[in-house]
Amino acid sequence: MQLSGLRYGAQLLDLVDFPAPEHLTGGATNGEIQALIDKHGKIVVKPVFHEGVGKKGKAGLIRIVDNLHDALEAKADLYFATHKHGTRTVSANGVTFEEFVESDIEVYFSISESTTIRKPTFTISVTGGVDIESLTPDKISSVWIEPFIGLKSFDLTNTLKDLNCPQRYISPLVQNLPKLWDLYNSYGLSTIEINPLRLKRVGTRYVPVACDIKAAFDQDNPAHRRIGLPMGIFQSNITPFEAEINRLRTYQGQSDVLELNTKGSILPFMFGGGANSAATETLGDKAIFSSDFGGNPPYEKMYEISRISLKHHWDATNVLLVIGGKANNTDIYVTFRGIFDALRDHIAENGWRPVYVVVGRGGPNLIKGMVYARDILDGLRLPYKMFGYDTSMILTLEYAKRIDDWWLKEGNAKYAESVKLSG
Amino acid sequence: MRQLKSKPFESYVGVYSLEEMVTKDSRVCVINILGSESRKVTPVSHEYSKGNVVAGVQYGREGKLETKLGDIPVYPSVREVIKNKHHFDTGVIYLPPTAVSQAVSELLSYNHDLKRIIIVTEKVSTADSRNIRFLCQEAGVDVIGCNCLGIANAWDEVRIGGALGGDAPEETLHKGSIAIHSNSGNFTTTMAEYLRTEGFGISTAVSSGKDVYIHFALAEFLFAAQNDPRTRAVALYVEPGGYYEKVALEMIAERRIAFSKPIVVCVTGRWKKDITRSCGHAGALSGAGDDAISKENWFDEYFGVGCYDPDNPVVSKRGVRVDSIQTVPVAMKAVFDEIGETPDFASQGDLSLKLWLSDNVVQVPPKLDMPMIEPLEPYAEQLGVVNKQVGAQYLRQSMSDKSGASRIDPMSHVAQLHNRSILDLSTNTLEENIYFSLAKIMPEEEDLPTINTLLNLMMRLDSDEMVAVDRARANGATPNAYLASELASIGNRPVLAKASEHISRVISAIREYGIDDTTGKIPEEFDKQIIKEMLIKKAPAQDTETEFLLKMVKGSKKKCTSLKICKHILTLADKKKMYVRDMQAFLLGTMTLCIFWKPLLRKRVSRQLVEDIPHYLYTIARTFACSVIDRKNNKHWQKLTGGPLTGLKSSFTENAYQFLFNAKPGETELLEFKYLIGLTLTNGPGTISAKGAKESVSARNYISMAFVGFLANTGLAHGGNGFEAVEFLLKNFAESNLVDPGDAKHGIDLKALAAKAAKEYGEFKVREKALGALRVKPIPCINHPVFKGAAVNIDPREDFICKQFAEKGIYNVFVEFYHLLVQELFNQGITRNVFCVNIDAVLAVIALKLVWDNRNAGKLTDEMVQNLVFTLFLYGRTIGVAAEIVDHRDRGTDMDCRTPQSKLKYVL
Repeated sequence: MQLSGLRYGAQLLDLVDFPAPEHLTGGATNGEIQALIDKHGKIVVKPVFHEGVGKKGKAGLIRIVDNLHDALEAKADLYFATHKHGTRTVSANGVTFEEFVESDIEVYFSISESTTIRKPTFTISVTGGVDIESLTPDKISSVWIEPFIGLKSFDLTNTLKDLNCPQRYISPLVQNLPKLWDLYNSYGLSTIEINPLRLKRVGTRYVPVACDIKAAFDQDNPAHRRIGLPMGIFQSNITPFEAEINRLRTYQGQSDVLELNTKGSILPFMFGGGANSAATETLGDKAIFSSDFGGNPPYEKMYEISRISLKHHWDATNVLLVIGGKANNTDIYVTFRGIFDALRDHIAENGWRPVYVVVGRGGPNLIKGMVYARDILDGLRLPYKMFGYDTSMILTLEYAKRIDDWWLKEGNAKYAESVKLSG
Repeated sequence: MRQLKSKPFESYVGVYSLEEMVTKDSRVCVINILGSESRKVTPVSHEYSKGNVVAGVQYGREGKLETKLGDIPVYPSVREVIKNKHHFDTGVIYLPPTAVSQAVSELLSYNHDLKRIIIVTEKVSTADSRNIRFLCQEAGVDVIGCNCLGIANAWDEVRIGGALGGDAPEETLHKGSIAIHSNSGNFTTTMAEYLRTEGFGISTAVSSGKDVYIHFALAEFLFAAQNDPRTRAVALYVEPGGYYEKVALEMIAERRIAFSKPIVVCVTGRWKKDITRSCGHAGALSGAGDDAISKENWFDEYFGVGCYDPDNPVVSKRGVRVDSIQTVPVAMKAVFDEIGETPDFASQGDLSLKLWLSDNVVQVPPKLDMPMIEPLEPYAEQLGVVNKQVGAQYLRQSMSDKSGASRIDPMSHVAQLHNRSILDLSTNTLEENIYFSLAKIMPEEEDLPTINTLLNLMMRLDSDEMVAVDRARANGATPNAYLASELASIGNRPVLAKASEHISRVISAIREYGIDDTTGKIPEEFDKQIIKEMLIKKAPAQDTETEFLLKMVKGSKKKCTSLKICKHILTLADKKKMYVRDMQAFLLGTMTLCIFWKPLLRKRVSRQLVEDIPHYLYTIARTFACSVIDRKNNKHWQKLTGGPLTGLKSSFTENAYQFLFNAKPGETELLEFKYLIGLTLTNGPGTISAKGAKESVSARNYISMAFVGFLANTGLAHGGNGFEAVEFLLKNFAESNLVDPGDAKHGIDLKALAAKAAKEYGEFKVREKALGALRVKPIPCINHPVFKGAAVNIDPREDFICKQFAEKGIYNVFVEFYHLLVQELFNQGITRNVFCVNIDAVLAVIALKLVWDNRNAGKLTDEMVQNLVFTLFLYGRTIGVAAEIVDHRDRGTDMDCRTPQSKLKYVL
């Protein structure tokens, strides 16, 4: 759950009265854009991405213009711009027109959790506006934050002084930056990054203005819901399958999925964070999704997870795989009932397909669960192999891949024919 | 701000050696001890650890948690635990995520001897986690978690926190020299299990959790492992995200902590590099520098060798990295060889593929083929026991106000039975719906003759024993009452009880001897058992019903294991010149088992239900039989019950119609009859009819009494207000000279009739209001609490039926009248919008149409018409209620329909 840019970022900053540039969205009229140009001389046109996206400037996605014609041209260019971000390509969905803030300094500022010292930390540089990783250590400084007190003014003052920040900017920064801790701490953020933060001269004073923002939210912290951001902005990269499964998210039992390859052939029900990590790696492209359904989900939840998974992916499934280590607390019987009851009901409603089932699992009520699955699969005339908890999980995964190859190549067609013949 | 520091760390760490982290002397208090997870896990932990849980907290409650070592006292708060002088050094938290930080604060506030807190809860927010860290750092308390399974010490046989080792920790946690630190709770146990294959046991295993904050991280763990004399090496499982490993390895490199023991580490999760939201562990989300490859490099650099390759094993004295946890044991063995040490014990088992269960229908190629292996004990023994079980199984729970059979669809507001709308079901025959109500699926075509035969035959059985019905009728009892009087006496009727016994015996034998469709020769042992338990030498008396059933069973071509076995029993009896004991019950049982065998195998229905089927079918058939109004003069009834056996395979629906209306139905009448019955199958589990049945089940009555419970909870208020609608329609059509309600050319000015009715109601309303009535009695069967508020309102159920009528060319004058009436009420300003005609109207108009001829001919009085409408409602609901009874018997607990004292109110 991330956002970037002022389209929604300004709403965050408003919560703590942190100054942001005056701005318009892509739907602004020509008159409104012209008025913005008239007022500020120059404006910045940026694409809107519905997630945390960096290095936009480097990619030429930020345009500074001083007339309506150029502004509209920039809008046309950027409205649906695509941007390669790490290994991912994201698409824009609109633009913003933002006041150009004159400043002779650009500040980088962020707050996040440091796993090195296990404390929240702020990081600051007065040579911001660039890729932060490119700065030498003497240009950037990180200081931990006492969570029950917040961002301390003296820490900021000392740090800015150490970074040789011009004296005239220190006071406005020290007065305003602690507001960002309030935002971070009160609204369930896990990262906030302002880059660049420019210092705008207003009369004799300087006002720090957040010219770009990136924020990430902790999905386990309900505080972010108070902001009132449209949830759709976090779902731009969520598939309909993932969205449907996400609705089942409760603290009892996991229901995490990531759709990996809808053209994959193995439908893997993975149990446990470890199994999720290891199994997804082993299955590679064959896995339709990555999942973690561990944490002892109740029957109803497991049934729903399975029902939704089958609804979306049954037609592509060649091998149905149930994989996990030796569960500590997850009741295998309950989870298997959920999965195989849903399978039976799905087939009853949508028709039979020749799918091979491979199971590798251990844990409480294992035999009861396996026999339950076996009886349903026998009834459905689906072939299966179930491996004991004393089998290596990785060997089971590799076996499932080999079964998948054979079943795709010849097994399923032959079997479907034999079932058809025997009625 | 000054912070506590424990050398060599920059923060507080209270564990010097793993040996002391949890011991047999550790004493524990579990928060939310009676929660669903803790309630199961804590007793196992307590017993394995020889009784280390001194108390638990369940907010707002007091009580105890039973264990084999005695009860653990439960208090409403930590303060009360301390006040009652329970001393503990470790707190375990099982609360929902938002409550965790509060519990930490409470533990710190009231217990100054606290050393450690283990947080099992997952999905604790990062903000709460950092607050917890600061609180505990200031207090000098170690935290393990969140989202972890705690710690286990195999030397002392102690586990604290979650369920490491599952429900049998002694199976997995063998004493040895390997300390485990794992980001995955499951892999903590799985690695311990795997390590035994190369002869390694464990000293202490720590499930660290993998949230953003890992409070007991690798640096602290390695420091404590180094100081632990039991530990000779360390096994780690690591996922992407966080710099914990880098910090630890740098501390070693910079000699801030002395660490000299070898490490085998498994790093997984390269694929997580590109994801932007977590899947699996919340903290396994990496940035650019802490992804899986970075972590692999940190360790490879530390070890000085690359990833372990079993074909070319190279390890260093510092250890090695592996790419999957299955390689941890062999890599550990290689590292031990390198440092010149030997494993803890002889290897136990191996990790090769062990096929426990396999289908026997698909032959896989030789390279994928393998023999099945008998599981290790105790799994092999469990397999033997579980193999004999069959059918759906449910966890028993309080089923008061709950149902697994019916519900109201929250979107359409239409009632559903077994997830199918009553609108769909109303197009089925009665026999189909009866089967569906019990089996949860529609019957197969080939089973319909058997279902009809069973229902028709059961109507015939005891057809001359209806004393109670006749007496009740004579006393003016309503249909529900006279039906109940007869059903109550069914009890555990011997022929039904014996049929159930036969079913049970056959199911047990099939599972005991592993017989299925592919079994060629039936085992001799099976025959011996049958001869002993089921066959007799003395020929029983013959009766026509039994002969008919025998012929039917012998002639059946259905492919079904249960039928195969029953036929085998009959053949065996012939061969041995013996007879099957209680033949009629055996054949009834055989036929019912045969039609329910597939749903039983597919776990749609429970074994209990299948054994009970004869009782259900008999009770339902008896309900229909007892409702025949004038048995002596009903030629259809006489034909079925008197004289030779004829027409047993005919449709039960047609028979039911004929018995009720004493007339043969045409195609239209039959359709209308089906709609009528289908629409009243259920109105959800909240109806008093369903509740009556459920309450009777919860009091542990025989099945027929559960139907009595339903009947006792129906009355003149039922059929919606269809009963009143009939009265209303009769009044409005009294002077219309209507001949055939199904003829569109009826010649009546319906619009005028509707306008008149609307006007009269408007005047009535004004009068009532003038007299000060707070609520004016409404016109029956219009308007609905859900389908209202629009300019023109429609009840989708009524709309469905009207469309069905239109499609099939069925006309009903009363429906048209009702539609004109709601429009007229609006036109005359009596209603603010056009009300809907609701589903109850459908019931009334169909019923009235069906009886119109007989009423006009004087064969039925208006009271009889109203009774008939009520009976029709009871027909539908009997079928639907059967599903509630089955469901409650399968899942409920005794007396679960009681209302708790706290919810009762005394009204003055």
